[in-house]
Amino acid sequence: MVDLPEKKVGIISCSGEACVEGTISRVATRLVLEKLRPEETVTICLPLFLAGGKEERAFAKYYPTITVDGCDKLCAKTATERYSGKPASSIVITDLTRNPGCSRSGRRKLDSGALGWAEKAAERIAKEVDGVLDHWR
Amino acid sequence: MKTTMQNKVIVIPCSGIGKALGSVSREATYEVVESLRKGVTETTCLALITSGDEETLQLVKTNKCITVDGCPLQCAEKNVKLAGGELAASFRVVDTLKENRNLKPKSVTFLDHDGQELASLLAKQVAEKVDELLKK
Amino acid sequence: MGEYLSTTFDKFELRVRRGYSYTEDGLWISMEEGRVRVGVSDYVQRTGGDVAFVELLKPGSTVERQREFGTLETAKTTVSLLSPMSGTVEEANGRLVEKPELVNSDPYGEGWLVTLAPRKLENELKTLMSADGYFELMLKKLETEHKKLEVR
Repeated sequence: MVDLPEKKVGIISCSGEACVEGTISRVATRLVLEKLRPEETVTICLPLFLAGGKEERAFAKYYPTITVDGCDKLCAKTATERYSGKPASSIVITDLTRNPGCSRSGRRKLDSGALGWAEKAAERIAKEVDGVLDHWR
Repeated sequence: MKTTMQNKVIVIPCSGIGKALGSVSREATYEVVESLRKGVTETTCLALITSGDEETLQLVKTNKCITVDGCPLQCAEKNVKLAGGELAASFRVVDTLKENRNLKPKSVTFLDHDGQELASLLAKQVAEKVDELLKK
Repeated sequence: MGEYLSTTFDKFELRVRRGYSYTEDGLWISMEEGRVRVGVSDYVQRTGGDVAFVELLKPGSTVERQREFGTLETAKTTVSLLSPMSGTVEEANGRLVEKPELVNSDPYGEGWLVTLAPRKLENELKTLMSADGYFELMLKKLETEHKKLEVR
């Protein structure tokens, strides 16, 4: 089975295309992966995870995960719990933005406001990553 | 999110987050549903389909669906089929790439020029298929 | 002892098939009754990306060691395939025309590229690495060249 050569955290984003919060969740996750915590994180592709992707499921089984959901449907969190185990932390974008529901406006290309939320969410995810890794060490 | 869509074609991208092709699938879908065939198409989250969300399952079972997958793993097509959705057509970004070998999308988070171009070309193909399906 | 040496990098398992010989570029050969079968390693397919096109020399073509015998065109780049051996191409994997993704999904099996009738087998075998040697090289490359395999 998979060995554990180093401490990494898997981030599973809903990436939902139906509303802007899904896009925010996707961009926030990518910002963490590319800029904020590139060496400490890995993304788990949710569609592949759901379809039974061997590597995605193995990683999520043995490493701590953080789920990032756009809305309260919690697709990423539910899938992770079902196929791998409880995530170390869960973030819901509508909780951060305090929007009551999922908005279809601006979902394709984030405007400056939404991008701001993506950056805030990314910072929050990065802090959760640090917390998970500190706890692990 | 209320969905009261009938007689629309539902376009479902894989939206894979690890590859540029996933981002292209997403952008191509938005191009179709928000621009090229606005009003007669809509999109929905693949994760909602797979998690068994009642409303979403109803949507994909009562409307024709087109999946747009980034890569040959074809997660969108597989998951829509598994959920019993009415899959009318499936596209793969990698096939459009084969027809346009000069395009090499590299960026994942925000599509670069090649990624945008590829998405645009694929969107036109999907839009043509939408027309075909709506005629039937 | 399993069929593969393997390591995990990010979420990806990278395997090196035992019993094959390797070039530094990650091309492998396996010996088959006087001919050699050639393919790319897991590392090459993973770092190269999703293969969209494979172009290979036709059967009957001759090739020298370290000269190009084909290319892999992926979603993000074109990988030049340098021959591990001098010889004549006997077969090119025709399945890769319709299913180039076999190179990604099964690089050591169905994703093979060509078979060669080698011309300088004994001498040129000495230029290749064992699976263990290539595995060590791959580990070094992962350490020094790649912060992440998925940020492409």
